[in-house]
Amino acid sequence: MTTLTHRPGATTARPSRRRLQRPAGLPWILPALVVSVGLLYYCIFYTAYLSTLDWDGVSPLKDSVGAANYVKMVGDPVFRGALWHTLVFFVVSLVVQVVLGIVFACLLHSKLYLKTFYKVLIFIPVVLATATVAPVFRQIYAPDGTLNGLLGAVGLGSLQHTWLSDPTIALLIVISVQVWQSTGVVFVLYFAAIGQIPPEMIEAARLDGAGNLRIIASIVWPSVRGTTIAITILTAIGSLKTFDIPFLVTSGGPSYGTEFLGTQIYRVSISFAQVGYGAALSMVLLVLALAAAVVINVGGRRGSATDV
Amino acid sequence: MFETRRVRTRVLLQVLLTVLVIPFVFPLVAMVQGSLKGAGWANYGTVLSLPLLPGFFRNSAIIAAAVIVIVLVCTMTAAFGFSKLHIRGKEFFFWLLLACLTLPGVVLLSPLFATVTRVGGYNTLWAVILPVAALQIPFTTLLARNFVDGIPNELLEAARVDGANTVRTFWYVLAPLTRPIMAAILVLVFINSWNEFLLALLFLQTPDHQTITLVPQYFVGQYNNDQTKVLAAAVLTGLPVVIAYIALQRYFERGLAAGALK
Amino acid sequence: MSFSQQLRRGALVALAGSALLAGTLTACGGQEASGDGGSATSGTVNWWSWTPDNDLAGREIAAFNQEYPDIKVVYKKVPIDNYAAVLRPALASSDGPDVFTVNASGSFSGTTFAPYALDLTAGTKKLLGDDWQSKVSPIGVKAFTVKGRLVASAWAKVGAGNMWINKETFDQYGVKVPTNLAEWQQACDTFRANGLGCFREGMGGTSGFVIDTLHSIMDSAQPGLWSNLLAGKAKWTDAGVVQSLQILQDLTTSKILDAGATGIQQYPDVNNDFLTGKVPMVQMGTWYQQYASVPSLTAALEGAGVPADTKKITIMPISFPDVAGKGNPSTLFTDPDAGQAVNAKSKVRNAAETFALWLGDTTNGQQVVANNLDEFPTLKGVDVQFDKVTLVNPSVQEPALKDLTQQLSSATEARSYGIGAQLSAAIVQACQQVTSGKKPGDVVGAVQTAAATGE
Repeated sequence: MTTLTHRPGATTARPSRRRLQRPAGLPWILPALVVSVGLLYYCIFYTAYLSTLDWDGVSPLKDSVGAANYVKMVGDPVFRGALWHTLVFFVVSLVVQVVLGIVFACLLHSKLYLKTFYKVLIFIPVVLATATVAPVFRQIYAPDGTLNGLLGAVGLGSLQHTWLSDPTIALLIVISVQVWQSTGVVFVLYFAAIGQIPPEMIEAARLDGAGNLRIIASIVWPSVRGTTIAITILTAIGSLKTFDIPFLVTSGGPSYGTEFLGTQIYRVSISFAQVGYGAALSMVLLVLALAAAVVINVGGRRGSATDV
Repeated sequence: MFETRRVRTRVLLQVLLTVLVIPFVFPLVAMVQGSLKGAGWANYGTVLSLPLLPGFFRNSAIIAAAVIVIVLVCTMTAAFGFSKLHIRGKEFFFWLLLACLTLPGVVLLSPLFATVTRVGGYNTLWAVILPVAALQIPFTTLLARNFVDGIPNELLEAARVDGANTVRTFWYVLAPLTRPIMAAILVLVFINSWNEFLLALLFLQTPDHQTITLVPQYFVGQYNNDQTKVLAAAVLTGLPVVIAYIALQRYFERGLAAGALK
Repeated sequence: MSFSQQLRRGALVALAGSALLAGTLTACGGQEASGDGGSATSGTVNWWSWTPDNDLAGREIAAFNQEYPDIKVVYKKVPIDNYAAVLRPALASSDGPDVFTVNASGSFSGTTFAPYALDLTAGTKKLLGDDWQSKVSPIGVKAFTVKGRLVASAWAKVGAGNMWINKETFDQYGVKVPTNLAEWQQACDTFRANGLGCFREGMGGTSGFVIDTLHSIMDSAQPGLWSNLLAGKAKWTDAGVVQSLQILQDLTTSKILDAGATGIQQYPDVNNDFLTGKVPMVQMGTWYQQYASVPSLTAALEGAGVPADTKKITIMPISFPDVAGKGNPSTLFTDPDAGQAVNAKSKVRNAAETFALWLGDTTNGQQVVANNLDEFPTLKGVDVQFDKVTLVNPSVQEPALKDLTQQLSSATEARSYGIGAQLSAAIVQACQQVTSGKKPGDVVGAVQTAAATGE
């Protein structure tokens, strides 16, 4: 991963001498690996094995069907729809959260009033379990709910709609709940990262006559590149995995309009008792997630100074 | 950060901030309103008077504390290792770790349950602590590694030149500098372990082991759904975490102290 | 080999080893029944279910302990949405519940978990005699007998196909109870003119209540078609099905059914709307009669978030109107709602069996069910003791509820037993699609495909 040195005049490494002098790091990463990999890798292998079966998860008879589940996936319109929804979800939620996160972080690093108050308000949604806020959102978007009530009260009654029964709008609603819940995290990360930017750099830029937007674009954005990459990877994986919000707010409907891989895996494995197909979907999810992470990481590294 | 010397700009920025925050606050207001409907404050009374409630709080706190300790130890050592030390095949191990993030919860239930019960962990808090920690570590390591990357190698070199070995470098030089990200990780891990529902539902059989996330189900039946009390329970459950966040607020603000370099 | 190389080797081995260890630990064992099952009159029994609620379960257990004081029952209520997901791994291990409740169909049915369940035939015969099948509801026997084994003891049943109205609202606007489509139209026009909704249903969420509506329409349009479809003797692409879906669509276009059905959920949205008086008609089954009792309605109103002094409505059951206009009688169809199964691997099998059978096959166990009003008992000869129940409007409701009970006991048509999870999802999807405007002829193909898979 990239390392940006902030001190003006810092030299790039002298690679060969550095490498010889670096101590061995393996014992340091062992605790993390043992806990996570040791506990969870069995789950991954077990799921891979299951994906070759046609099994209901209960009966002692398991039919081995090889790659049939994967073939089935290719022709499954619900699966293709889920992938499309995931893509839309990822792009929209990432862009909105990053923009909001950086803007909030910058604003709250400035000399404004009641900063702690705002920080807390942005962060509270992160704290609440999705299971408890989903009904609130369903109430807001219900045909006789808060949003329609508000529109009626300000005279925009003609805009009233049965929001959740329209698949496209339902998808946007699901995205909006995710943004509401996660912007706080993105904000906190950017806040920590921006805090690492030396104030002298900002001052120097100001003396050079740079305006606020210029500063964001030329100083802040490049400085937080690592954070942005990490957030992009986490959002990608999270979008692929997303389950709580579509399950609790729209149940994947209407008419599978907000179906995601996570909800489809749940439906297929638990409701339809097709454990093998569900496992195949999970393996595909894993591969897609890893691929996305690699692509994002490599794409982020291109064009910046690397330090071994 | 932003130019705030002129009053006009200050006001403009303050207004912008407020306008942006309103959509975040709106559902929170709806939530509190919803929790007060019907019986009003009596809803909170009902939730608080659940006889097992203190026990639930205690169990949730124990789980959260244990997970935080395990995750922080594993994350900071791993971040240090991945970022600053030499490991052959480093990226391979990193992706190995990251793959753990990708499995959705429902897929993990069967194999996890089988593993945990085999080692006798059923109906113990460890059955929730270890999987939750295992699921958090890849995510926190990703964030922490990124943060540690931003710490100049010169600082560690300086320590090494002064004769410190790796462990001392880690403890006396690196750890203090990572306070902002450690605080962020602490809060995030706290939230995730405090809100853990599915694993608690699966592994914790008797009420003396159960956690606070299982409280709302007391109010949701097959043919009824007492939203007001569920929301009251949600507000009460969220309070400790909000308090923790406010308390750790200032640690987020400590950037890389320029003084350390001078 | 250098130290770091050695270390690296060691790390990889350790990793592989721990994963392998976890694997072996899991693979070995856990499948055989343990021990002799323990005593039949003492022990600690763990009971998992999605129903009843904790206080009713407490009452059941207390009544049970009067006869069997040495059997301690620990009840764990699992929310219905998570029940199947949580039960699967638990039953697969050797630490699962001793007694678990199953449904007649769906993702946690007796059929689904049959491999884990103890055969209760012998125990039932001991309790009720060799003619036990005549003493309990026949659909319960049918639904819970899998490959000749009785996998669960039927505990409660429900009926559906009727509707419930808010009597006060009907009286207030002088609206007659509709018996056909034209009258229904008229009734709704009156209600809407006065700013109310009319017939509201929630098609969103995971529940399939809209299937009951389609079933009722089909019984009105072509009696017997539903049973034929479930038996495989008719296809979902047949004209009768298309016509029924068309009628469902017409209910929306003619503004009988409130708009936005596909975006709302029956529970809690429509439930709250009806009980707080905003909507005069819903299609719910016999379980709704619990809201005729004062304590249940009070609790429901509190849960709906309205002030404590909100007027308690008088709910009344009515028959589904003859929407096809062919004069076919409205029907009530019935299913067992729950049966108690015993985990064959349980270490306290015998005590667990005692409890399971007590719940379903004894008068005392069934009386608790009956008096709670939300479910009907499956043991013949147990009726609601109306003198022990406080109704909102006894003079009006008691005769209507007694009539409903009568209808239910003579009902023979199955409600959803025989509909697999995939078919159920496909039917709901088809109903959602026609409600959103798609042509019925275009949506039935997918339903037939799902039905053909037999799952």
